[in-house]
Amino acid sequence: MVALRFLRALSLVRCSGPGARSPSYRARGIRRAAYACMAASAGPRRAWSRALLRKIRRRPGRGLRRPRAVIRRRRPVGGGDPLEVALRRLVPGGGCMEYCRLLEEAADYVKCLAMQVRLMQTIVDSASHVNSID
Amino acid sequence: MLRELVSPNSSALRLLLFVFLFAPESSTSAWIWGSMQPSARDMQVHGKTAASLNGIAASSDQIALPELQNGHGSQTPFDHGGSVGHDDFLDQMLSGLRSPWAELGATKSPWDAPDSEGPTAAQRIFGVGKEAEDGLPYAPFDESALLANRLRQYQISGGSSPVGKAMMLPLSHHGQQQMLATSGDSGFLPLPLTLGSCGSVDSPNSTVGDGLYNGFSGALQHTESANQHTFPHPQQGAPMLGQNFGAAPLAPGLTQAPAAAVSASASAGGGGTGPPRQKVRARRGQATDPHSIAERLRRERIAERMKALQELVPNANKTDKASMLDEIIDYVKFLQLQVKVLSMSRLGGAAAVAPLVADMSSEGQSSAGRAVCAAGGSSDSLTVTEHQVAKLMEEDMGSAMQYLQGKGLCLMPISLASAISSATSSFHRPHSSSSATLGHLHPLPNAGSCDPPSSPAASALSAHSAMANGAADAAKDTIVVSKG
Repeated sequence: MVALRFLRALSLVRCSGPGARSPSYRARGIRRAAYACMAASAGPRRAWSRALLRKIRRRPGRGLRRPRAVIRRRRPVGGGDPLEVALRRLVPGGGCMEYCRLLEEAADYVKCLAMQVRLMQTIVDSASHVNSID
Repeated sequence: MLRELVSPNSSALRLLLFVFLFAPESSTSAWIWGSMQPSARDMQVHGKTAASLNGIAASSDQIALPELQNGHGSQTPFDHGGSVGHDDFLDQMLSGLRSPWAELGATKSPWDAPDSEGPTAAQRIFGVGKEAEDGLPYAPFDESALLANRLRQYQISGGSSPVGKAMMLPLSHHGQQQMLATSGDSGFLPLPLTLGSCGSVDSPNSTVGDGLYNGFSGALQHTESANQHTFPHPQQGAPMLGQNFGAAPLAPGLTQAPAAAVSASASAGGGGTGPPRQKVRARRGQATDPHSIAERLRRERIAERMKALQELVPNANKTDKASMLDEIIDYVKFLQLQVKVLSMSRLGGAAAVAPLVADMSSEGQSSAGRAVCAAGGSSDSLTVTEHQVAKLMEEDMGSAMQYLQGKGLCLMPISLASAISSATSSFHRPHSSSSATLGHLHPLPNAGSCDPPSSPAASALSAHSAMANGAADAAKDTIVVSKG
């Protein structure tokens, strides 16, 4: 479940550098953790979760790419519709999908995103609530 | 090109094409209305569009007149007489301008341009506003969707001409201001409605042309009568707009119609974008071509997915595919922005939750190796754990946390746990049994690694007994166990 993953990741972020880093760095770390948890809980069956995890794990300046046989860009996109192009850019891994697959992935992505947002909002609310009571 | 217009099959086609035509065009036209405020930029822009509108009107006029000459144009002698009287009016209107509107309408390139300029003006005019966080041009899309919706309804009902006439009457009654205020859809409606009405009449050949011309001149006549007082005004904008009011919706339709009809009939398969292709489905009723079958199948799947997306996204009352896509895109952007904002605001708020968990994680890393698997999911182990934790809590919170961490559990406020379970329950509904079931404990695998996605059952155990022993925040704490 995404909630527990996220809480764990959050704790990791917190204890990695409490006060040592700038708030923006921590914010970025939290955001990355959120996306990672979301993608991890969605499972590897979804193209967007795979692409998202790939994107996140690739970030730490890894210049050496493993010579894995990754099939990238199976079908080049003929971006005629600006809306379609925008959607491809928004959904992770949306560059090489067909249109109806893109819509499917987008639906799942929206669902997971909405849940993640709700979760984060809940945490913030309850945390602030606890603070206010004390 | 005339043949295209006249042939009976294409009339229905053109009606359908109006639907997607007005989707982009009405946005531009709504934007025209919106930019009535005299500003240099607005003048220039809608001067250009007015020019292009007139260019189309000129071509439509040329098309319609031969139809009249065929002798079928006697439906309403008023229109004949009106045509003579209106010709010079028409010519005056159509005098200035060339065909930038043709390109404008045909390529849908102003889709982006009016989007950036239109929204605030359109919103100002129409008073339609979504929340500030979206801040997007909803007004034009609303109208286009509204128009498309109404058009479809009227087509289904057969498009009676009294309906068309009734729709045209309000046009004349409104002043120019009101014509602006009531937005383009009421103005756009009469023309396609008369078109639809004439299209449904039996004699096929030239009624379409008649409908075009009737609607055209009729609307012109109304607009002219309504705009008499503004006509002698020297300023270009308002009277041009009032006069173009009739020309605008018709004109782009006409140029677009032959072009699209040609393209639609020519390209049988015609993959590519979804929205225009879907409208020509009625034409290609013959399913002999495997390409068309595959195409239709693909279109149906796309429609299915769009419907599923529509349910997810709020404000999903748009019928137009393009506006729906836009809505989806904006919603995704909005959600991503929310994640960003929440991650920024999280820093202070997480303090209440994180320290407990943080202490656990720092100290519990070493203990993670041992005592990995507690007993199986039986209630005995649950109560045992409970008592153990309660005992540890009496001595030292840290050790209690350590014990929990070793078990793969964590401590969190009850409010948070219930909120989280309620927030995520809807998502995990298909996975079933995700809502908090009290008294059910599942051991967790090692913390920190990627857990295998086994059945994601969430359980919550409220250690009320433990709390009763006097731990801090007794009423608010609970032990949450989740798996997966």
